[in-house]
Amino acid sequence: MSLDIDSHIRHSSRYVGRSVPRREDRGPLTGRGRYVADIKLPGMLEVVFARSTEAHARITGIDTSEAEALEGVVAVFCAADLSDVNTFPDYIPYIGAVRQRPLAEDRVRYVGAPYAAVVAVDRYIAEDGASLVAAGTTYEPLPTVADLDQALASGAPKLYDHWESNCSFDVAPHKPEVDRAFEEADHVFTETYVSQRQTGLPMETRGVVADMVDGTLTVWSSTQSPHMVRTTVALMLGMPEPQVRVIHPAIGGGFGTKTHIYPEDVVVPWIARRLATPARWIEDRMENLVASVHAREQRHDVEVAYDADGTIRGVRCASMLDMGSGEIFMPGTAPVFVTNACITGGYDFPNMEARTIGAVTNKTPAGAYRGFGIPEGAFVMERIIDRVARLTGTDRADLRRRMLLRPGQTPYVMHGGGRLDSGSHTESFERALEMSAPRLEQVRKRHAGDPDVRVGVGYANYVEPTSPSYHLTTGHWGGGDAATVRVDPDGSVRVAAGLSAFGQGAETTAAQLAADALGVSPQDVTVVLGDTERTPYGLGSWGSRGAMMLTGSVLLASERLLDKARAIAAHMLEAAEADVVLEDGAFHVAGSSRPSVSWAEVGTAAWVRVVDLPDGMEAGLETSGFYHPENLQHQLDDTGKINAAASWSNGTHIGIVSVRISTGEVTIEDYIVVHDCGTVINPALVEGQVHGGVAQGIAGAMYEHFQYDPDTAYPRFASFMDYLVPTCAEVPHMEVDHFESPAPEQPLGVKGCGEGGTVGPPAVVAGAVSDALSEWGVDLTECPVTPVAVRAALRAAEANRGGGSGAPP
Amino acid sequence: MTIIEPISEANVEVTVNGRPHRHRVPARLLLSDYIRDTVGLTGTHLGCEHGYCGACTVMVNGDAVRSCLMLAVQADGAEVRTVEDLAPAGSDALSPMQQAFHDNHALQCGFCTAGFLMTLESVDPAEWRDPERLVELLSGNLCRCTGYQNIVAAVTEAWNAYDGSGGSDDG
Repeated sequence: MSLDIDSHIRHSSRYVGRSVPRREDRGPLTGRGRYVADIKLPGMLEVVFARSTEAHARITGIDTSEAEALEGVVAVFCAADLSDVNTFPDYIPYIGAVRQRPLAEDRVRYVGAPYAAVVAVDRYIAEDGASLVAAGTTYEPLPTVADLDQALASGAPKLYDHWESNCSFDVAPHKPEVDRAFEEADHVFTETYVSQRQTGLPMETRGVVADMVDGTLTVWSSTQSPHMVRTTVALMLGMPEPQVRVIHPAIGGGFGTKTHIYPEDVVVPWIARRLATPARWIEDRMENLVASVHAREQRHDVEVAYDADGTIRGVRCASMLDMGSGEIFMPGTAPVFVTNACITGGYDFPNMEARTIGAVTNKTPAGAYRGFGIPEGAFVMERIIDRVARLTGTDRADLRRRMLLRPGQTPYVMHGGGRLDSGSHTESFERALEMSAPRLEQVRKRHAGDPDVRVGVGYANYVEPTSPSYHLTTGHWGGGDAATVRVDPDGSVRVAAGLSAFGQGAETTAAQLAADALGVSPQDVTVVLGDTERTPYGLGSWGSRGAMMLTGSVLLASERLLDKARAIAAHMLEAAEADVVLEDGAFHVAGSSRPSVSWAEVGTAAWVRVVDLPDGMEAGLETSGFYHPENLQHQLDDTGKINAAASWSNGTHIGIVSVRISTGEVTIEDYIVVHDCGTVINPALVEGQVHGGVAQGIAGAMYEHFQYDPDTAYPRFASFMDYLVPTCAEVPHMEVDHFESPAPEQPLGVKGCGEGGTVGPPAVVAGAVSDALSEWGVDLTECPVTPVAVRAALRAAEANRGGGSGAPP
Repeated sequence: MTIIEPISEANVEVTVNGRPHRHRVPARLLLSDYIRDTVGLTGTHLGCEHGYCGACTVMVNGDAVRSCLMLAVQADGAEVRTVEDLAPAGSDALSPMQQAFHDNHALQCGFCTAGFLMTLESVDPAEWRDPERLVELLSGNLCRCTGYQNIVAAVTEAWNAYDGSGGSDDG
């Protein structure tokens, strides 16, 4: 997209590029933030869901009579009551259709599946009612499948009777050049790498408040995508879209889990409509752990062809996603495709043949989590490189140097069609190496006298697709967003965008963009997000898209607004439009001493004193822009490839760890990030995104793991006591440095930075610990790297060597 | 031995942020729900209701307390302070700690922030300013957005300023 305003801001930005303080802070700091659970409406009823306690069963009976008899319970609804609600759409043709009903009818496929809704005058009574419904529910248990092996075994119990097996999809490209690489290479090794089940886990659980007044259904939802919720709720409840309004108030984090549209998003509005009373459901943490999507559970069976000098000739990788029950809208299938698309990271490595498989199991549905498949792929690639380096006696950093994309090598088309438009792949790695070298020495020195401690270093070089296609993920939506810009009679600017925000600082960002575009101060800009009635259509915040979508849409709308404003000002200045310039927040005739025309005067002329407008000009000063990146593809090309992201950020993580041999305790001593997200709009916000992403990455690398009983598919977690979210004591200090390689095809060169931080840590920690324990041949293939896992790896190494000399204590 | 009859309701008198409140409440009502729903101060957030995440931290008689682990009736006669009481009344100013959080980008979604602020409000900085002690103090509150680094920076900055100003009152 070519915009005049784009080059104007690049040359004379006053706010873009600066750490403008956040406007979002005051509410939460003073206790006056307004989150979904803070909304209270007159007569509002509380909803609590009864959820399956079986992993796989037929429901043979639900006796709701005791719950209904409880004082304060207003109603109990089951699937049969919702016969006027449509099924969640199955939009993606190549995956198994799950035909999901909002409430389970006669079959439950995971512990936590909602099958009844209890409505009561307060939450405590609604909980009592749900307990009574649970006590009145009878099941006929069915055989379970708890993991991929069980799901894909021949004769496995099927979750869906109308499927041939539990396999939802299996996409297997064949690349003759990879066959050739295997024929020609000196050696081959095979390995299985595993990424464990985790979740985004926002501190605020999900919640929905709904109220139907005068034919309009208003839904307050802690969603990342209010417009998509509106479209879907209207479809499922059979209502015209203009009669559904979805608002997201303040949101306490999302991290992908709130991109999905859940049963509760439909059932609570249905209850409000049915009972003609406001209704509220707030997820509690225990249900959050089973009823909000999980992610990242993948297995990768790889074959690697390599030469004696360390050259990796070709890789075959079968990436398998454990989808859980699959009962989630949008489906949680896309991350494993992203894994394969991004698996080669910033390396010049075309000879990758990646097969993509998804299977359903009797666990919580899998879905989105910040990183969206990228960390799983980076883990596989970096572990492969480390293994080849070890097998061939090659320096690990040198091998990466040989493989990384060099300056001038972009644009570069990856093995799956991803087009790396720009980047600083080699530069980031070299910078990170420089930063880490003295620290590594210090850490080694610090532990030199301790025979129980070993030190290691781990690397990850990755790419982060930004502003991706949502068509591949949803089978329905695309990848653009709209914004409207208005100047009011007093000269104030109002920006309304379809984007949503839940901590990223998008309101601050939008104000910076509009301020630079219109020559005003951010304080003069009011930003409206997260309300379908007050904003144009947008897909929300996910996929590291907020910065680029705001930039494109706000600048497009601003440029259109400026054109009109300049015409009005020229008329008022009795000058030619071409002679009118915008400087210091007012319109002047260039080179003239005539008084200027302010935004307030232009705004007043446009809306109020229309007598001041040029003859024939339509009144008003409000314009819109819908930004859709031109280079973004939504469909595979003839060769089966796709560039499904508008741009690509990149980065390098290096971690230095110490490992205590006797206990398996791992300490991250230093963590270095060099990243490149193109043009930076607000450095403080970008750094915050990096910090938070790395912390979540470390959570996955070392702590968080949803474990299920392999025999019953029953969850082995119920609280933060079993699902270990890192505290301040576990997250190390991060040293962050930046490159800025502007996205050549995007406004201002903005790329995006939401997810990259999560990508490196699993690869870095596993690599660093393996390096530290290399004298015993330890080479980790999965996370989390817990003390137990470290000790097990040491014991296995000892067993392999027959307990000879050099065995760990 | 005294046998206590089960009760379903009880009277509570609690001072919240300096204002007296009197209510008849269900005996099982959590202090967190009492503060949020009965008194109507929603700045105290519920992150887990298991006593783990610290988001619901308030001060009860000067001590930091997880309000999800206490019943409203247990607070009978107590002085409770919540996040709404931190900023100086009647002005747009923030407390030094709130200001430091803002200046250091120590909050993103803001859901956990009140808990951090109340934990910090309840301690004597002199006892916790050592970096290792500070990490220990903050490790009772979960944050999912910031990676904690900017929170540590904010607290350090606020406490340094506190020191420099000769012990002016933070609250």
